Amino acid sequence: MKNVYRPIDAEILEVIDETPTIKTFVVEPKEDIGFATGQFMEVTVPGLGEAPFTPSSSPNVKEKIDFTIMSVGKVTEELHRMTKGQMVGVRGPMGKGYPLDAWKGKEILIVGGGVGAAPLRSLFLALVERLDDFKKILYCYGARTPADIVYKELILDKWQKINPKKIEIRTTVDEGDASWKGNVGVVTTVVKDLGIDISNSVGVVCGPPIMMKFGTFALVEHGYPDSAIHLSMEKNMSCGIGKCGHCMLGEYMVCQDGPVMTYDKVKDKPAIWD
Amino acid sequence: MVRLEKGKFDDFIRSLAEDYIVYAAVTAGGKSSFKVVASAGEIDEGRLLTDRSPKEIFFPHSEVLFEYDGDGIRETKKAAKPIAVWGLRGCDVKSLAMLDKVFGTARQMPDNEMFEDPYWKRKYDNSLIFGLACNEPRSTCFCNWLGGGPHSEDASDIFVIDTGEAFLMQPVSDKGKAFIGKMTDAAGASAAGASVAKASGADEKKAAELASGARAMMAEPPALDGLDEKLKGIFHEDIWEEMSAKCVNCGACAFVCSTCHCFDVQDEGKGGKGKRIRIWDSCMFPIFTREASGHNPRHLSSDRFKQRVMHKYSYFVDNYGESLCTGCGRCVIVCPVGVDIREVIKRVLSFEGKGAR
Repeated sequence: MKNVYRPIDAEILEVIDETPTIKTFVVEPKEDIGFATGQFMEVTVPGLGEAPFTPSSSPNVKEKIDFTIMSVGKVTEELHRMTKGQMVGVRGPMGKGYPLDAWKGKEILIVGGGVGAAPLRSLFLALVERLDDFKKILYCYGARTPADIVYKELILDKWQKINPKKIEIRTTVDEGDASWKGNVGVVTTVVKDLGIDISNSVGVVCGPPIMMKFGTFALVEHGYPDSAIHLSMEKNMSCGIGKCGHCMLGEYMVCQDGPVMTYDKVKDKPAIWD
Repeated sequence: MVRLEKGKFDDFIRSLAEDYIVYAAVTAGGKSSFKVVASAGEIDEGRLLTDRSPKEIFFPHSEVLFEYDGDGIRETKKAAKPIAVWGLRGCDVKSLAMLDKVFGTARQMPDNEMFEDPYWKRKYDNSLIFGLACNEPRSTCFCNWLGGGPHSEDASDIFVIDTGEAFLMQPVSDKGKAFIGKMTDAAGASAAGASVAKASGADEKKAAELASGARAMMAEPPALDGLDEKLKGIFHEDIWEEMSAKCVNCGACAFVCSTCHCFDVQDEGKGGKGKRIRIWDSCMFPIFTREASGHNPRHLSSDRFKQRVMHKYSYFVDNYGESLCTGCGRCVIVCPVGVDIREVIKRVLSFEGKGAR
């Protein structure tokens, strides 16, 4: 039988500096490992351990996978010391991703913050690659400072230019600097004047806990039904197969029942924003 | 039902050990646990409940999943023989069946073997479980609160009753029937090595007497109907601080618990060489949920106490249709500050507060 605990080898092809604390690792898995956007994988640093990350690349690109990772713990600090040519392990994909097929014909509002941009980039690229299926994408993204903005495309209007009629990118920072010309304020300050038909729209929220909370509340205020708000309920997943208990949220094992979950499923669960 | 004379017990265990890795209750250094035995003499036959739970037979405290070096991954080998467990009490038999729901099945992705645990399945799936009736349940036993009983055959392959002079063996599962069939079969008798006789009417009567006697020793259980809903309703109440006030989050309850199955996946190694292990973990510990950022969704001691109770008597019910507790009472025995889970359950059932916030 297949051993779900066994990672496959993946070679680091490229390391891209995104912010002072965030890098994107482009890896080439040595065996087939497809994923749906929003699903996560466990990445192994040999000799040290593994940690869960959601790929930031398009699910349609099979031969290489991007992981955008903040240096914050034991595994990620060591990852940040690794370079091109070194090997990591990947296992997965795990859990349930974004239900793109169910979103056909809809307008999509994405609210993201900080390193939450990683899974959202994968989602954005997946949406763009089948843009005919969707009416509109409005992507609101907030970072702490201009230096903390994870993907340059979010500042350079590059993503918007893919199709300016259908795509709108709004970027904001909590604190600007001398060169920042854009909006200053938390991400919810740009989640307004949406120009979206809420009755034919779905919302996506992904970011740090406090942003998830107020981002979700903003969508509720705009009239989004709870079942149309998709949250990335990231926890410290360990086994990834619904057994080890680390990611429990009420009766859910986020690694299997999520990580993407609609607000109606989790709103009555204990301490969801903690 | 067949009868095995105590005088033949050693022959029986020795012959069983030819075909199986035999685990039974062993007491060493004042502590009892299930260990591999080769003869009856090693078995602590009268032991009612081992200090350590038998979950470790199939789900060890620390288990190497694979080893790796620069040349790749080496998976650990499957044992050559299947496992037989002699003398599991009814609560413990039931615990293993519950753990099999967690490890052996893929609840969220049914029939997807990708999400079945290979390390559990390769040991548990072809195991042979001898359940052993409790003739004298102890004061900490509360299996009858949770649908069990001192003479419950549930989930045993073969159910055994100790009459003092003999063991009466009742085949329960197909596997158990095949085993007993082989023992009583003339051709198979030599393979099994031990001679058994068909149980007599007197044996059956004795078994029934022991069963009703044991049941009578246990107090009438409270009705746990609605416990799940009640727990959900009081999630935000202050009662949790009161109930967990004594708890020091040492995790001893989870360690000895026969159904607690939380674990962590860790690597031990250096410079690209090492091994991946899984090791018991507990929701009692602050780092269980602490994220790399330092953020901890359950940073209070009472949050962790609550999680353990909620998981056992509410969340597991949602997912698997029963409580994740068999009433073995090990947590009651081992708790250093005297938390008695039965008192917690009673307090929850009797709580009359505002309900869900």
